[in-house]
Amino acid sequence: MSIKEKIKEFVIEWDSEGLKDYCQSILESNESTASNLLKIIGDVMKYVGDQFENEDIFLPELIGSAETVKTVIDEVLDPAIRATGEEKETMGKVVIGTVESDVHSIGKDLVGSFLFSNGYEVYNLGVEVTADQFISKAEEVGADVIGLSSLITMSMDFQKQVIEELKNRGLREKYKVIVGGSPTSEDWAEQIGADGWADDAIEAVELIKSIIKEGVKHA
Amino acid sequence: MKLKKIEVFTKDELEAVHSASMTLLSDVGIKVDAKDARDILKEEGAEPDETTNFVRFPESLVKEKLKTVPNSFTLHGPDGSFNFEVNTTTTQFATIGTPVKIYDPSSKKGVRKSFLSDTIEQIKIIDSLENIMCSHIDVWPNDISYTTIHSQCIYQWVKNTKKPYGMGCLGRLASQDMMNMASIIVGGDEELIANPRFVGFMNPTSPLHLPQIMTNGFAIFTKYKQPTIIAPEALAGASAPVTLAGLLTQTNAEIVGSAVVSQIFNPGAPVFFGTVSHVTDMRSGNSAMGSAEMGLITAGIAQLARFYNIPSRGPGAGTDSKLLDLQNGYERLQTLMLAAQAGVNYITCAGTYEATLVEALELLVIDDDLAGMVKRAIEGITVNEDTIALEVIKKVATSEKKGVNFLAESHTRKHMRSELYMPRLADRSRRSTWQKKGAKDIIERARESVDKILEEHQPNELEKNMEAVLLKYMKKVEKRTFDDYRKAEGLMVDSITLPDGIEIKEKE
Repeated sequence: MSIKEKIKEFVIEWDSEGLKDYCQSILESNESTASNLLKIIGDVMKYVGDQFENEDIFLPELIGSAETVKTVIDEVLDPAIRATGEEKETMGKVVIGTVESDVHSIGKDLVGSFLFSNGYEVYNLGVEVTADQFISKAEEVGADVIGLSSLITMSMDFQKQVIEELKNRGLREKYKVIVGGSPTSEDWAEQIGADGWADDAIEAVELIKSIIKEGVKHA
Repeated sequence: MKLKKIEVFTKDELEAVHSASMTLLSDVGIKVDAKDARDILKEEGAEPDETTNFVRFPESLVKEKLKTVPNSFTLHGPDGSFNFEVNTTTTQFATIGTPVKIYDPSSKKGVRKSFLSDTIEQIKIIDSLENIMCSHIDVWPNDISYTTIHSQCIYQWVKNTKKPYGMGCLGRLASQDMMNMASIIVGGDEELIANPRFVGFMNPTSPLHLPQIMTNGFAIFTKYKQPTIIAPEALAGASAPVTLAGLLTQTNAEIVGSAVVSQIFNPGAPVFFGTVSHVTDMRSGNSAMGSAEMGLITAGIAQLARFYNIPSRGPGAGTDSKLLDLQNGYERLQTLMLAAQAGVNYITCAGTYEATLVEALELLVIDDDLAGMVKRAIEGITVNEDTIALEVIKKVATSEKKGVNFLAESHTRKHMRSELYMPRLADRSRRSTWQKKGAKDIIERARESVDKILEEHQPNELEKNMEAVLLKYMKKVEKRTFDDYRKAEGLMVDSITLPDGIEIKEKE
């Protein structure tokens, strides 16, 4: 069985411990490099993503696979890549979270899983995230995009406050800011001066693909 | 799990309806037009009156004959690889109706006459559906001769589906053709009788009348033990009393009487305790199939069927709408859900509208989805340690992650497919996604599904010799005239004459 087939098996079974051990053993025996394993995992996640798009699997199966992979990347592959001093290849870096006074997490977690499955580096800050926390994290990791989630009308205004705070600090042009969540809309995004709005997780991935292409730098 | 069936009668009320039906059967009886049938019934203890043609059934005879009616049977597709059981506890979904037109948005009126090509497409669609288990000659092929419809349809059935088929008891000649052709297909009468392929429909004419042609066909279907639906289509206020209890008393007598006839024809012949009865619209005199009362009548018949321990058949997805509109949607689901909640064992009429006079292949795939939803609804809630999920709740709720959910839990993965029905056509996406996909309504999505099924459908490979024999048989049927048909059914002359090469087999 090829490395890819083996990894696919662990990912589909959500066996993060098994996948961790397997990747470690490959690295120890020098059978492959961490960046190569990362690439293979990317291919496997693309396969899972395609299956989801074709409606062969359901959402939990996609997220479970993404979570399995994330643990292994965080705990095994990223440290190994850092140790070699290599640059990690990524589609882009995205900081996401639910804004202040709002504890709803599932929507933006889905966005995170979908982005991750599509090869983005995702920093999910959780819920009730303040403007300062968003901006500090973005500065720290060199993010391309900041994603602000809000599920209740009461918390929508805090999306605007993050954008205002970026302006205050003279950082507004440095990041693309996108917003989402049930009560939000394209009009709302425009009104508060965001760079984009998406209706669901699949749309969010498309949106980020388009705005990063449009012209943010690097990684 | 405690999912109660909808019941319309108390035990005493049920007894009262039963008892009144028995009185009707013993005092008035059922008018049986076919002389040969009256003679057979007389031999077994029924009491025909040769001046009125009414045959009275003493209660003791009814009781005795009902004993041999099976409470379950299995229906098979042409090659036997697909089969399913009909019994008194489960619910299956099927088509049936009398569509003579088909939905066609390109035509001025939105509908056009249906042709054999439509009949074939309907068979192919049902072959591919998950929840609709059986197709029937219901999309009427207006472009071929009436006397060849059954043989043409059987040929298309064996070519295009793995599922069983249904046909009206369209007289002894056509019914015998059906059995002969099926026998060629399955390799003999013995196999056909042991593992039935066809559902027959026998509709008594209300009030209390078994017409000649239907009875002729019924005799053949029962002889070959092909499960036959006995289903009066009484209309409250027109062909039955306006009171639903009266309609149910009368149609119960019609069904029970016909069931007795079936057992006299051939003990052990399977039948469905059926109904398509509904009400008369008192403004127009039209029948009203999408009515709430039809649901109540169907529920009443389901309860009576359980009382006699015979599998029930009732209509669902019934609507009077002329369009694929909201009325069509709410009436079809209302009647479908009520029939299922009442415990009907074989729910029919998928794919039809306008009181089943029109077919839409689009509705057929929608009904497959509705049947899936309804099936899920009547499954109820499974309660055990695993489904109560105490440990999972504890684990997720107290997770240290900021923001928690059950999506990526193994418990979700393990149960999601059995616990949640995933409709194929209902749109649950967010508006922007829906818009991006073309902002299509359910009919457009259903059309795409129909097109895809038809494009991908693979016909059955027929054994060459068998196909040749079938085609030869069909040629024979084609040569017949309408007079041949009339003579065979005893409509023209006193004695029955069958065309050359057709023999009605004696009861075995």
